[in-house]
Amino acid sequence: MTREEVLDDLRRKFKDDIIEVFDKSPKRVYVEIKPDSIVQVASYIFKDLKARFNTASGVDLRYHMEILYHFLIEDINLLISLRVKLQKQKLEIDSISPIFEGSSWIEREIHEILGINFKGHKDLRKLLLPDDWPEGVYPLRRDYKEWDKNVIRDRGV
Amino acid sequence: MSIKLKALLKSPWVFHLSTGSCNNCDIEILDCLTPRFDIERFGMLLVGSIKHADVLLITGSGNRKSMERAKRLYEQIPKPCLVVAVGECALSRGMFVHSYNCPVPIDKVIPVDVYIPGCPPKPEAIIAGVVKLIEKVRKSTEKK
Amino acid sequence: MIYIFYFLFFGFLLTAIIGLLASWIDRKVTAKVQYRVGPPLLQPLIDIVKLLGKETLIPAGSSKITFLMSPVIGLVSVILVSTLLWINNIYPAKSFLGDLIVVLYLLVIPSISIIMGGFASRNPLASLGASREMKLILSYELPFILAVLVTVIKSGFTFRLGEILTFQAQNGAFVRSWSGALALIVAIICMQAKLALVPFDIPEAETEISGGVLIEYSGSGLAIYRLMKNMLMFTVPFFLIIVFIGGLRLDGIHLLYGVLKYIGLVALMTVIRNTNPRVRIDQAVKFFWGPVTIIAIIAVILALLGR
Repeated sequence: MTREEVLDDLRRKFKDDIIEVFDKSPKRVYVEIKPDSIVQVASYIFKDLKARFNTASGVDLRYHMEILYHFLIEDINLLISLRVKLQKQKLEIDSISPIFEGSSWIEREIHEILGINFKGHKDLRKLLLPDDWPEGVYPLRRDYKEWDKNVIRDRGV
Repeated sequence: MSIKLKALLKSPWVFHLSTGSCNNCDIEILDCLTPRFDIERFGMLLVGSIKHADVLLITGSGNRKSMERAKRLYEQIPKPCLVVAVGECALSRGMFVHSYNCPVPIDKVIPVDVYIPGCPPKPEAIIAGVVKLIEKVRKSTEKK
Repeated sequence: MIYIFYFLFFGFLLTAIIGLLASWIDRKVTAKVQYRVGPPLLQPLIDIVKLLGKETLIPAGSSKITFLMSPVIGLVSVILVSTLLWINNIYPAKSFLGDLIVVLYLLVIPSISIIMGGFASRNPLASLGASREMKLILSYELPFILAVLVTVIKSGFTFRLGEILTFQAQNGAFVRSWSGALALIVAIICMQAKLALVPFDIPEAETEISGGVLIEYSGSGLAIYRLMKNMLMFTVPFFLIIVFIGGLRLDGIHLLYGVLKYIGLVALMTVIRNTNPRVRIDQAVKFFWGPVTIIAIIAVILALLGR
């Protein structure tokens, strides 16, 4: 299937879920979808189009938060990024780890760093932060404040 | 100089510890062991266990998690020992000064003897730093 | 009284000096093969002096007496073996009945002391290294004993080292016959495993289990272990020279031949060490119980037939 066929296929199947398709370059496409339909679209791209799940990124923008899921179709060299916008008052989304196991760790990391709750994830503990990190403090949010009293923030020169 | 210290300077065994680095400094340290900058002619060997080591080479900006382990390793190295910090991140956390995961520089946790700046330092710079360390130890024992 | 002199001078001092020299030759030749400059001449001695000056850390919860006594037991047994071999080499008439068996038994004790030291330190990696050393002993002892059995058969079923030496002085070294050459090859392979050199340095695999058996030793314990290993590097080739190639005769031109025999064995060990990767423990056990034992049995049968 070529690139145009893939995009037309997606547009046809998920007509009311897709909000916008942005062709960035011949190799990359950004597809924005509604948060409720992430499981369907992700399982379609993973299973039927036989794409590979690369990684997921979480961004904290000024008025909302976003998660991007990157899928790579290797035969036609196309990277599809599914963009999901979340409001800051209600930071939850369905987890896609029941579909494929490879996404469980990245969702743990997004949860501990940005504070987004993944419903249906089996095991949402800390992945990288130390054990004595206080609860409810998410480091990469825009309103993160220094909570530790014993830090040294100058270089000493 | 006492015979203990003379023997220590003529055959320092090196243990390499990375506390969360980007691995560039580790690759440059590995370059020092290759035949081009051979350090076995100074008697240095790379050992696998901390209890056999004399010199502790630290790279990487100190994470919260890894500084606990580094402190435990420093307590296990048999004294007298020397500590060398290699690379900008080990000196003062480099560009990670304001990061949430690097609270203090390494030399507030472990006493460091020699700092080798560079990002990453060339193998010639590492060897020059080690030579300066040996000179410093010689001078400080001669003054006594 | 004379035996104490032999013990201290020949057993300990001369063996230590030649062993440290052999270790230096090994490191220098390895460095030259890898196209670099190696360590200076006194490097192995400086290593041991430096280790004696560092503090000794004993892990909590380990059995202290076993931990500290194991290196000493290994060192004492190597000194005893070396004393016996030197006495028999200089005065072949002074050997007693069965001293070949005594030497074979005493040569197992350094490996056992490494196992004891590994299990006495309370560390899972050390136990792993010690259990691998146990499997290695089980595999290489059989071909080694079969190879030594060849010389016993060929010298008329005698168990005295002195009589083996005098037999070889009269009838030519054992290595000139078919069975002797095969047995020497088997013994060299087993020597590589006994000294824990690559390809069989499984118990002290440095990068794999970070020091293996010796992971908890520091300071004087490690110094004694290194001295024991360096002295083994003289003792075991010396044993092979006495039993297979005719001993180290100390008069005139034969001294030069003896030195060449020893350096030849050390060079062979170094060359094998530099050209082979490390094997896994199950491959090593299959190798020793398979081809090597078969060659040893063929050598024994050839010796019984008189070749």
